Amino acid sequence: MKVPVSWLREYVDFDWPVEQLAAKLVFTSCEVDRIVRRGVVDTDGNLANFLVGHVVEAGKHPNADRLQLCLVDVGEGEPRQIVCGAWNFGAGATVAVALPGALLPGAEQPLGEAKLRGETSRGMILSERELELGDDHTGIMVLENGIEPGTPLVDVLPLTESVLEIETGFNRPDLTAIYGIAREVSALTGAALAPPPGREPERAADEPVDVRVEDLGACPRYLGRIFHGARIGPSPAWMRARLLAAGMRSISNVVDITNYVMLALGSPLHAFDRSLLAEGRIVVRRAQPGEKIRTLDGHERELAPTDLVIADAKRPVAIAGIMGGEDSEVRDETTDLLLEAANFDALTVLRTSRRLRLRTDASTRWEKGVDPYAAEQAAIYASELLVAHAGASWTGHTDVHGDLPVPPVVRHRPELVERLSGMSIPVEEQVERLQRLGFEVDGDQVTVPNWRANDVTRPVDLVEEVVRFRIEEVPSTLPERAAPSVQLTREQRLRRRVEDVLVGAGFAEAYTWTLVPGEEGRLALEEPYTTELAALRTDLRLGLLESAERNRNAAVERIALFELARVFRPTGEELPEERWHVAGITDGGFFRAKGAAEALHDALAVPLVVLERGPGRSAHTAYGELSELPGGWGYFELDLDALLADVPDVVAYQDVITYPAVKQDLAFVVDEAVAAGDLIAAAREAAGPELRDLRVFDVYRGEQVGEGKKSIALAAAFQSPERTLSDEDAAKLRERIVAELVERFGAELRA
Amino acid sequence: MDATALENEARTAIAAAGDGAALEELRVHYLGRKSELKLALRGVRDRETGMALNAARSAIEEAFFTREEELAAADVDLEPFDPTLPGEPVPRGSLHLITQLRRRIEDVFLGMGYLVYDGREVETVWHNFDALNQPEAHPSRDPRDTFYFDANTLLRTHTSPSQIRAMQAQQPPIYLVSLGRTYRRDPLDATHTPVFHQVEGLAVDRGITLADLRGTIELFTSAIFGRREVRMRTSFFPFTEPSVEFDITCYLCDGQGCPVCKHSGWIEMGGAGVVDPNVFEAVGYDPEEWQGFAFGLGIDRIAFLRHGLPDLRLFWENDLRMTRQF
Repeated sequence: MKVPVSWLREYVDFDWPVEQLAAKLVFTSCEVDRIVRRGVVDTDGNLANFLVGHVVEAGKHPNADRLQLCLVDVGEGEPRQIVCGAWNFGAGATVAVALPGALLPGAEQPLGEAKLRGETSRGMILSERELELGDDHTGIMVLENGIEPGTPLVDVLPLTESVLEIETGFNRPDLTAIYGIAREVSALTGAALAPPPGREPERAADEPVDVRVEDLGACPRYLGRIFHGARIGPSPAWMRARLLAAGMRSISNVVDITNYVMLALGSPLHAFDRSLLAEGRIVVRRAQPGEKIRTLDGHERELAPTDLVIADAKRPVAIAGIMGGEDSEVRDETTDLLLEAANFDALTVLRTSRRLRLRTDASTRWEKGVDPYAAEQAAIYASELLVAHAGASWTGHTDVHGDLPVPPVVRHRPELVERLSGMSIPVEEQVERLQRLGFEVDGDQVTVPNWRANDVTRPVDLVEEVVRFRIEEVPSTLPERAAPSVQLTREQRLRRRVEDVLVGAGFAEAYTWTLVPGEEGRLALEEPYTTELAALRTDLRLGLLESAERNRNAAVERIALFELARVFRPTGEELPEERWHVAGITDGGFFRAKGAAEALHDALAVPLVVLERGPGRSAHTAYGELSELPGGWGYFELDLDALLADVPDVVAYQDVITYPAVKQDLAFVVDEAVAAGDLIAAAREAAGPELRDLRVFDVYRGEQVGEGKKSIALAAAFQSPERTLSDEDAAKLRERIVAELVERFGAELRA
Repeated sequence: MDATALENEARTAIAAAGDGAALEELRVHYLGRKSELKLALRGVRDRETGMALNAARSAIEEAFFTREEELAAADVDLEPFDPTLPGEPVPRGSLHLITQLRRRIEDVFLGMGYLVYDGREVETVWHNFDALNQPEAHPSRDPRDTFYFDANTLLRTHTSPSQIRAMQAQQPPIYLVSLGRTYRRDPLDATHTPVFHQVEGLAVDRGITLADLRGTIELFTSAIFGRREVRMRTSFFPFTEPSVEFDITCYLCDGQGCPVCKHSGWIEMGGAGVVDPNVFEAVGYDPEEWQGFAFGLGIDRIAFLRHGLPDLRLFWENDLRMTRQF
């Protein structure tokens, strides 16, 4: 929200510099994004160069058709001659004048006396735009008559303005109004708060206002007021200047007034051209199936039965709390108005706003929950302004509402402040702060003001109201507790180990998206992020493969990536199963990936066992898969939860040092179809525990072994933890192995 | 053979050797597999001769060692040597920058007696919002901001549901941090990713205060960044009351003022506050007996800023030209 400081000061006359106020609000109330300076620079007496002038004479410049030559009284006795390019005024007009020496907004050099086509111009008659008070540059700014010439212009117009740009929290709808911010500033600075703006004007008649509210839950209150004889035109310069500074466009006096009051008091308003309402009636109801409305932004919108609309006798004329309809809009020829000052339920507005993807200044206020009592003051203030600035006469009033909320009463527990914040604040200060915020304090009973009724309902909420003004002073302590003993869980510790082993093996850790394209068996998002990111992954392959290929396309060498992350499997229950997986990809092919997986298993003291071959160059292991993906990528992926469950807590020492090992090499010729792993498993079975180690060190195919055959060379180590094995012991073990392999695989011993 | 004579001859020759090549030649001559000494040793039959020959061998080896040292001291290269040549390549992997930071944070809190709690990534609306006192109309529930699977389940939007799960599982006192992936429907650009990482902290005990929160964050951020100050600003989160946002002295400029901290000397870290009684009620704790604080902060931005990365997407592209720098 943009807060013009001159407007704020109208309600609370604080004497802090704006910078100090902003710096403090950041701690106590809301974010302040920045302070923007607008308009005339207020240094070195510059403001004194801007005066109200009275045009005494105006006529064509003798040497220029497009210029006017004017004599302007600026209260100096003798009028000044000023040359002006605009023609939207004549003698008798009251105007804004800058004298030579004035520094105009955005200018680098002060204004000088100038000779224009032979005539001296001793000043300048100003347009809104030149003063940064508006967008209008079609002519100069004509002020209302009756202001004494020579009056400092700054007394008449907000010539210089600072604008606080603030962000208000979800819980503070009261801070979406200038008056609400003024209340906050009053509590912060101690400066007095003026009564809320708006004095009821005189009502010219008492005609009935036909307002029916069918859904008091969604629309707890609807004040309707009728005005006749409005004259649509521009709003006063000061109002336009403030709206502009607050970031709103000026439309017309009537629309500007509704916006101005919304900004001042936080309760959005809407004005209808009453002559365009069928039967002059207002019905607040849910939309009917198939109903449509063309909103003020020119879009035709289909309504749903969950949408709350403002209708006349026939059709919707506004989407409640969001935007008015085009065909009941106030236009230049409008004279009769129906002013709506209502209250709408936050969720109802929110749902429709979300459904239509339409957010407005009004809807963002309703979403936060606006005080239903604020509607009344908003109606009063808008009426006052309509009478004063649109020449309207007020002729009818109605206030339809159900039971309005009763202000909550909360117990004040002053001791909670210290108990929760660790900082003590005297009770008197607590009470004063609450009172300045509009709370009524009666002993320990605190009545919460309506504008905070949603947010403050419990004693702890009052604590925040008090503590936040001293939040910077909260001391720094640590919880008092006995020395605790904590450590990572077993799984957390082992996951770190897995990461470290893979890093040591040359793999770089990758992070890839949790979301992948939708597919059978994957839990899909209701609304995909993109078609590529639409469902939860059930394995890690896609992301790693993409990352690996991106590296290859960038000509990176020695690619090795791993990821340790969760995968998600639908279970039919409310939530999917989440399991940790680890996967690695390498440009070194199947056996490089398998080597890394072996290192990983080895580090965890769990054997890697190939259970069966998979399709192509792939295999299933006890905990996952090993494969070679197209492009020569070696890949492994393991169910880490399953693997870690099998990691022994303690690895027992095996004595392989006291007694020496007998090492021997064996080579067998077998059919191509025989797997080395099967040979080793059979050999181990045959030899028993004294075969300490048996591994493949060579596989040979060629003429010497014959077609369809291969020679597998094995290195065996025989060893006992109890004695030194003799050559005869070793020979016996060897014979058992040979006999077994010959029998089971038709193996032929080569050496 | 005469071991003593051989020893003396060898000593003289070794002492005279002028470079590594000459020494190597002498080594083959006197100690090589076919040297007179080795052949004699192989043929030894009696203990006395063996001892004498072995003594000579030791003496000769000693002489080589001494001469090598002398030559080295005199800066004579024993063999061609260029220490600026590269070492034999040993492949080195790396942990993701966020994992590195995550582990440091975990370790700091472990040292402070906080356990590390692994939450879920797919959560119920109840755990992610309702139990955390999130109003029905709060914008974070909007499907435009949150990834839903259906009306009841979603990808967690913050690590806070871990608080709920941990509190449901155990009675106070409870001190924990929970780190992991979080999800919001943000655009994917240089400063946003739909997946990011948070650290959640929760302390529930008797007498925990906002002051304890401040001290804890001070200790934690000082451990990671060096001595830091913490300031708290009033804010709003449904699950804490009072709620604050906390800033620390900028970790890039040490509070001197830089473009990242917009010359304020302070950098925003995250949100925190005193646990709201409604949250305690949701998990069945008595809010009159127990008090707590909770905090949450994103860690991607910290890693991103500290290492001077230009684009958050680099965390997800896994370009080895980047990762090998860390």
